[in-house]
Amino acid sequence: MPTEPDAEPEPADRRETDDAPLDPAESLRLIRDQQQRAGALIPDGRLLYLVWGAAWLLGFVVLWGSSRTGGGAGFAWTPDAAEVPAALPAGWAFAVYSVLIAAAIAVTIVHSVRRGAGVRGPSARTGALYGWSWFLGFLVMALLVAGIASSGASADVVARVANGSACLVVGMAYLMSALLWEDLRLYVLGAWILLVGGVASLFGLPATYLVMALAGGGGFLVMAAVAHLAVVRGRREEREAPRA
Amino acid sequence: MPDEPLDPVIHAASRLRVVATLAALVVGDQIAFPRLQKLLDMTAGNLSTHLRRLEEAGYVVVHKTHEGRTPATYIELTPRGRRAFDQYQEQLTALLKGAGS
Repeated sequence: MPTEPDAEPEPADRRETDDAPLDPAESLRLIRDQQQRAGALIPDGRLLYLVWGAAWLLGFVVLWGSSRTGGGAGFAWTPDAAEVPAALPAGWAFAVYSVLIAAAIAVTIVHSVRRGAGVRGPSARTGALYGWSWFLGFLVMALLVAGIASSGASADVVARVANGSACLVVGMAYLMSALLWEDLRLYVLGAWILLVGGVASLFGLPATYLVMALAGGGGFLVMAAVAHLAVVRGRREEREAPRA
Repeated sequence: MPDEPLDPVIHAASRLRVVATLAALVVGDQIAFPRLQKLLDMTAGNLSTHLRRLEEAGYVVVHKTHEGRTPATYIELTPRGRRAFDQYQEQLTALLKGAGS
């Protein structure tokens, strides 16, 4: 295969060979190659899963870690949990967490906008409405958490509601996105994140953060790996595709 | 259908690549000329020539518009172009099957 001189013709050569007869295998290969290049028009899921996995893993580990050193109970569901003052994450840990999440949001927006640049029509409209859906979901979630916090709920309650509702928004959004883009893997991730949110809510401070970090962040990272393997496998199948 | 001749408008390397790229877009989407040019690695003049040919065949629509004061050109595959591309691919597959067995 590497010795085939016309395997990767230069664009300039293509011009010359324009009227030369194409054989069917060559045509199919041109189509596949070109449609793979057109993949540059849609966001690369691997990058986005990786960024979000890293943000959740690091961000929630920092929240969990700083609350442990702050003293207090390990697992708030142990019988004596009520008597032990809840371990609060340090203020700087919230700052680190916020910066990581903000960075992940920025990467997502910049990457998606760049990939879709120069394309207009139904997909651009869908993409914009999609972005607004996430914004609205998290806006309401933030108001909900603020409301609960201002009602005098303990830090433990606030943390459980914040983590559980974040997962509810993310999980449901993924389930719907999976239907929109017919992406079964994304559906599995959505179901997983919903489950993580449910479980994280059963744990109090600071264990709820550890569940979010390992199961939530870990879920995104596994997804990044699965998506990457799918790309690698696709490329290999393409190389090994029969050429007449 | 395998006996039918392949569509000469599509069955040429450069135009095939143009159509394959446009067919990868969501139905109804349009792509800006510079972005399409980049995806294809073609010169602007070259791409224009092929687009004209595709336009004559009714396979693409070229929308001339303005973004602010800058003129912009967007290209869209027509339903007819999409059908022709689908049929072309079916014919190729049939030809390959016939040759392989």
